[in-house]
Amino acid sequence: MSLMDSLAAGFALVGNVEAFFMLFCGLVIGVIGGAIPGLSATMAVALTLPFTFSMAPINGILLLLGVYKGGIFGGSIPAILIKTPGTPASSATILDGYPMAERGEAGRALGMALYASCTADAVSNLALILFAGWLASFALNFGPPEFFALILFSLTIIAGVSGESLLRGALSALAGLLLATIGLDLVYGTNRFTFGDPNMMGGLNFIAVLIGLFAIPEIIAMAWNPVAHLGKTRALGKSKVTLADYIGSFKSILRGSMIGVFLGSIPGIGAAPSAFLSYSEARRTSKNKDNFGKGEIEGVAASEAGNNGVAGATLIPLLALGVPGDVITAIIIGAFMVHGLQPGPMMFILNVDIIYGLFIGLIVSSVFLLIVGSVAIRGFRFVADVPKRLLMPAVLVLCIYGVFAVNNNIFDVGVMFAMGWVGYLMMRHRIPAAPFLIAFILGPLLEDNFRQSMLMSGSDPSILMRGPITWFFWTLTFITVFAITRSTLRKRVPLS
Amino acid sequence: MKLRTFGSVFALGLGLTAGAAMAEYPERPINMIIPYGAGGATDISARTIAEPLGNAVGEALVMANVTGAGGATGSVAVQNAKADGYTMLFARVGSHSVNPAMKATLPYTLDDFRFVTVYEINPVACAVRPDAGIDSMEDLIAKVNEGGVSYSSSGVGSLLHLAGAMVLKEFGVEDPLTQATHIPQKGGGAAATAVLNGTATFLCTNSSALASFVSNNQLKPLMVTTAEPVVGFDVPTANDLGKPALNQLVGWTGIAGPDGLPDDVAEKWGTWMAAATEDATFRETMEARGSVIELMDPEAANAFIQGQYEVFRALVDDLGMRIEG
Amino acid sequence: MRPGAFSIGAPISMTTKSLHLRIGIAAILGAAFLAAVAIPNYVSSPSNVGNIILSPVFWPYVLAGLTGIVGFGLVLTAVFSDLTVFDPRDEIAIPVGHAPWLRLAALAVIMGLVMVGLPRLGMVWTCMLAFVACAFLFRTRHPIAALVCAVVVPLLLYAFFAHVAGVAIPQGNFVRLP
Repeated sequence: MSLMDSLAAGFALVGNVEAFFMLFCGLVIGVIGGAIPGLSATMAVALTLPFTFSMAPINGILLLLGVYKGGIFGGSIPAILIKTPGTPASSATILDGYPMAERGEAGRALGMALYASCTADAVSNLALILFAGWLASFALNFGPPEFFALILFSLTIIAGVSGESLLRGALSALAGLLLATIGLDLVYGTNRFTFGDPNMMGGLNFIAVLIGLFAIPEIIAMAWNPVAHLGKTRALGKSKVTLADYIGSFKSILRGSMIGVFLGSIPGIGAAPSAFLSYSEARRTSKNKDNFGKGEIEGVAASEAGNNGVAGATLIPLLALGVPGDVITAIIIGAFMVHGLQPGPMMFILNVDIIYGLFIGLIVSSVFLLIVGSVAIRGFRFVADVPKRLLMPAVLVLCIYGVFAVNNNIFDVGVMFAMGWVGYLMMRHRIPAAPFLIAFILGPLLEDNFRQSMLMSGSDPSILMRGPITWFFWTLTFITVFAITRSTLRKRVPLS
Repeated sequence: MKLRTFGSVFALGLGLTAGAAMAEYPERPINMIIPYGAGGATDISARTIAEPLGNAVGEALVMANVTGAGGATGSVAVQNAKADGYTMLFARVGSHSVNPAMKATLPYTLDDFRFVTVYEINPVACAVRPDAGIDSMEDLIAKVNEGGVSYSSSGVGSLLHLAGAMVLKEFGVEDPLTQATHIPQKGGGAAATAVLNGTATFLCTNSSALASFVSNNQLKPLMVTTAEPVVGFDVPTANDLGKPALNQLVGWTGIAGPDGLPDDVAEKWGTWMAAATEDATFRETMEARGSVIELMDPEAANAFIQGQYEVFRALVDDLGMRIEG
Repeated sequence: MRPGAFSIGAPISMTTKSLHLRIGIAAILGAAFLAAVAIPNYVSSPSNVGNIILSPVFWPYVLAGLTGIVGFGLVLTAVFSDLTVFDPRDEIAIPVGHAPWLRLAALAVIMGLVMVGLPRLGMVWTCMLAFVACAFLFRTRHPIAALVCAVVVPLLLYAFFAHVAGVAIPQGNFVRLP
């Protein structure tokens, strides 16, 4: 079948109002679900899944993809407005989005988040359509040694989000790595720091740690000084994003989208590290470098491009290999299977109409996201006008509900509170929280892939350098570490 | 207050105001705890049966995923709940026969639960990469004896972990733990990917998890552990290969309550499940995923699980796989 | 300046130098505690581990070592460089007197009570009480609005999570909501 025939077949499949309506519904559900902390994009997709069983395959899958894409964008709304990421992927957005909201520029930050998301989404979808086959076979070359090298390189992001002191950032990261060791050991299944508590055996819940670290310290700080915010212009987020803003950040958005596409096409990385990597790259190359972390709009653009760039690309391993890249695509695979579709290379031959139908739907989804997103921003922006001393107790209640809902476990609420005090202590000592979070995500991946490599090779460390991909990341790591060391030493000279 | 007690107190909170109202069970929504994450085999199975089962029960079923520690976190939440039938568990082969057999540190035993049904059986299949030069179990065993063979699993104490060792042992490998390397992954999807990208040589897992890879010729199946052939898997069964002992190696999903669940509640679940599994949509959906719907009443379910546990336990003790730390 | 020099109640404005000294020493102590007490006692390692780098304790020990090194680094920067600049942000943020400390303690008590109350009272009622307590702890200027929000917000969230998202929100022993 030629490309034109395939396209025509795809159009025939999605060329009805129902398919587009489902996509639209999905985006609405996703944006709302993503905007409620604790519900997260994953939960929203999982909750929608049962409804797709009775639909035509293409409609059901488009509905789920809509929820997925909407959810990843929706997460940035509470991240900017109340410093609580609605979904883990939007934690990088906090770094600059929340300071902007504090300055009274919530509207501008949200607008930029939307435009960056839509752009990255479109780039990601194009990459899926053009390179799916090629990227997928490349991703299959990633075994544990390659992952280890990639994650080691990703840990250099920490330098980018450490702020004023690299040492304090490193300390924060180490604390995150240590906390991530809680739970059952991967290779032997033994207990590590669980103190015999079955709730600890599963490790600390990621969302509980995340919300505890970012949202709760704000509430504690409010108790410390309830009038600190008075006199600051937080009121109405009337400011709007301008075309100049967009053009100024365009390079970062494009770079973030590429990073998202690359990391998204490799199974097992996910959107959060991609957002952080994109953020730190944007900061490294920006001329407003010093303004990052204090409310730089380019930072918001970069993080949102980084996480939405993943959304289309995770479908690459899913469609081309049948391998889910993260939890959300794992759920979406369930929808394929219920309809008797088996993602993988054969699907491009057997169900080419569905594949092209999906492609068409995806392209449209970027446009729909723009519409749904702008309505949602208008709806949610009033949050910025609520008096802060009323908003904070509401945030507390929202966090309790949200963290409970993630795993139906009251223990997680306790974890959130405890992490809140840790986060507050860190805030008081000017230890940045972002490295903690990145290390908490990447730490287990680093350790697991290291030990899997050692198991593969019978403890021979040379496996970590086994091929061109590992060489590439090792080189990249050394160059980055060298650059960081040099710039840190240079900075220190005038100080001493 | 110790954090540990929160779990039990919470579970008590869920199952309040029982006692006198028992006669009219159920009079309010029932909490159904799924001890694994969204999108997994247990979750999809549970959510598929939720609708027909809810119709049979006549009250809402509230599905709650409580994940962590290979199903232990969710299981403990039910273990500590009041035995009034308002907190029930979707038990799975990993959490309720492999884990108890392998882990000395597990915070529960099989005696802490009363099973009311097993409704789904998943055949287990073993598979390798097509370009690995392995065409049959014989080839695989020959490779194992040469050395350098590894198998992937979804984690320590999972069905896949035990299955790899059990199959090798059954086919005459003296000490599968040292002759083949176990490479644990995080989750079933990652385990299949590990074989796809050459990290591990083979894996033995539920046929439903392998079906799409097999039909796409990305993985080559070697055998299935059931007595009957499995649709889509053109390979010998365990019985064809003369290893009927492997018939015990199957996945299953069932429903359990805390130990001490009253007899009349267990009975009611028996009738509800009989009605729910008759549902045509449910059967179609499950069978499309490669499951075999096989309903067991409370007695049969308990006997089946106990039997499987004992087989696994004997193997674990024989090989020294038990995790004591 | 010694780390103990900051008594409770005193303003904690500090120079980067004393900050680094404090967290550096804390990091070294933490690393020593991990290596000497926490890892040997709370990380179990099976006896049949073939190679040390595969052992469950290997990675925690590496992390403890790195924490110690970073701690030393922080102390070194404090001792050998001239970081005596006051950070202006600290000066603004510090109110006078004991009241802030009391409010922090009160918030900690509220959080503790929430943990006790969630399984017994149920999530909705506990959150209503927590909302009111926090709003008044923060000395809100809108007491009526605070009371209204305290009732409405938990109820709305309950309606959403329990009936739209299908989450089993804890109900408590006393009053059950539909």
